[in-house]
Amino acid sequence: MSTSAGLPRRILKETQRLMAEPVAGISAIPAEDNARYFHVEITGPKDSPFEGGIFKLELFLPEEYPMAAPKVRFVTKIYHPNIDKLGRICLDILKDKWSPALQIRTVLLSIQALLSAPNPDDPLANDVAEQWKVNELAAINKVLTVLDMI
Amino acid sequence: MGNSCFGKRRRTDHAYGPQVPQNVNSRGEEAQLWSPVPRLYPDRPHNGIVMLRGSHMFTCDMNYIWNMDVESLVLLTLKEIRRLVDNNQEPPLSIIRLNEIGESESGWVQVVQAMISTIPMDDPLGPAVIALLLDECPLPTVETVEKLYDILKPSAELAQEALHLPAKHRNFTCILGCVAGILAGLKSVELLKDSVLEYLLTLLDPKFAQEVVLFALVALEKFAQTGENKATIRKSGIQEKLMELEKYQDSSLTKFREVGFCAQWCLDNTLPIDGRTLTFEGLSMEKCNVILNDHDVSEYLKISADGLEARSDALSFESVRSTFCVDEGTWYYEVLVLTDGVMQIGWATKQSKFLNHEGVGIGDDEYSFSYDGCRQLYWYNAKSRPHDHPQWKPGDIIGFLIDLEKKQMVFSRNGISFPPVNDVFQSVCSGFFAAASFMSFQQCRFNFGMTPFKFPPKVPFKKFNDYAFLPPEKKIILPRFQKMKLLSSMSISESSCSICCDMDANAKLVPCNHGGLCMDCAVQVEQCPLCRVKISKRIQLSPADPGLYQDEIG
Repeated sequence: MSTSAGLPRRILKETQRLMAEPVAGISAIPAEDNARYFHVEITGPKDSPFEGGIFKLELFLPEEYPMAAPKVRFVTKIYHPNIDKLGRICLDILKDKWSPALQIRTVLLSIQALLSAPNPDDPLANDVAEQWKVNELAAINKVLTVLDMI
Repeated sequence: MGNSCFGKRRRTDHAYGPQVPQNVNSRGEEAQLWSPVPRLYPDRPHNGIVMLRGSHMFTCDMNYIWNMDVESLVLLTLKEIRRLVDNNQEPPLSIIRLNEIGESESGWVQVVQAMISTIPMDDPLGPAVIALLLDECPLPTVETVEKLYDILKPSAELAQEALHLPAKHRNFTCILGCVAGILAGLKSVELLKDSVLEYLLTLLDPKFAQEVVLFALVALEKFAQTGENKATIRKSGIQEKLMELEKYQDSSLTKFREVGFCAQWCLDNTLPIDGRTLTFEGLSMEKCNVILNDHDVSEYLKISADGLEARSDALSFESVRSTFCVDEGTWYYEVLVLTDGVMQIGWATKQSKFLNHEGVGIGDDEYSFSYDGCRQLYWYNAKSRPHDHPQWKPGDIIGFLIDLEKKQMVFSRNGISFPPVNDVFQSVCSGFFAAASFMSFQQCRFNFGMTPFKFPPKVPFKKFNDYAFLPPEKKIILPRFQKMKLLSSMSISESSCSICCDMDANAKLVPCNHGGLCMDCAVQVEQCPLCRVKISKRIQLSPADPGLYQDEIG
């Protein structure tokens, strides 16, 4: 792998673009002294139970990136069937459906979309998924409790 | 195995596959409420703990452990950590129990207080265990940490107590550093109260035990990861104190050297001051032909300006290789051990991977072999076997001899050689770099032969420094802030490969006909990155005429 001062050009390019053309509702800022580590904030999508919330995530680009997926997790607590209480995310593109053509920006957009459309049939947090399937309204109320909005 | 000295957990839940986010210790600044913690890795014990709490791991020890007080649990953990070396071992019950206690706010404070009062000064794994246990427990809130402040009341006056209670304050400063690292961002700004800053600054005084000075310094450095704190700390007059402490860099006492190293590193990397020459600018590197490779190192290892000394203050298992590798003949290098905790030092080829967040380092794959003088183990292919050398102590010289004709390695401690080992030659026979992995708060110095060896082997051997060559620009360990500046000023050509952004996009995939990537990347993927169609052939386009096919790779 060819690198510039130890950092692959691919990461450099993505970072420059993230800074120059930020995505609406998403911010990703590299750590001051680790260019593989990003502080991320995603705002809860409009018309979703998460609207009004600001969610902090951490994103790390492993050595193999982009041949391997970035590692992402929520650091803000979130009540969501595909996100467990440690913030781990169940999302196919972060696992077997990863492609090196995907980028930090596309990954974060997918996570934002996951907030709009929780998928209780592929759960990571089983109890949450169960609740979501049995009584969606109650689940959404729970989301709002966690968000401190009711 | 490093931090994962607890080993890897069995997993049944698909969701915890290798995709789970891993932690990186945030060095970030602005506006982050939470910092990353190595909390999520599948090999890491907390996952095991989450699983285990459910059901199946009730053993006869359970009741016993569950009735122990927190202090005894901490001491038991300290003892058990040393024995945990196997990949498939369950985490010790004492950790599971402490993690459970730490779930509540009062429990967290209790666990932390127990660590402060019980962890003895002389245990080589003490601070590393503090870091591990804090990482195990759920993240504290600012309020929880404030509860701890209410109990301990950090202040300039309290610092004086460190004169007669060094262990308590070494442990407390170590905890402050870990918490600052875990909660980097806005929370860390809230946590750096004036009284806490005064407490830590007062401790930066050589009249206190060196361990206390060291951990106060590390704590301030971790607080300074957050921009706002950095500004506050800069204004506090810390630099003068650091410049005093920096003088200990070459002390003959290892504890002083640790302080000197951290002070200098901080001045060069975290808190540079106008008017002070950066250490690397004042060094003559003329005679030095081999250093630790600043481009072949996991991200948190601190390398000295002269490239020969390294230290980790991170939670991950940090690794580095030398700039020079050996293919034939007999070679020798020495390492001065400066801390007596877990380091795995030895030989590694380029194929050996550094997976710092997974606790994988030198000796944890088939391409490397290492010596661990703390747990008294040899490591090869992530398996360990005991050696009967005495436990290492700061100041020890470990010798590393490799004979590529006889295919064997000989390790020695202060000139006493031990029987040769040859495990690694089953997989590789050449391309060996000197290499080392470091658990939290460990440090050592390499001698590749630029200065005379303390215990040269009796057999004929070669020195790296006599055969290696490094152009002057490669002998520079650039301070982090300069490195980041350099990175952001680089530009990338538009015709480059969309995957690596490095080579020319000169490949076309068959049957989907997608292009835009280089041949190097094309051979690494089985499916087209754009349409996921299985690739049957990769065609290399001529650089002059993109339409002309030069080469085909099936």
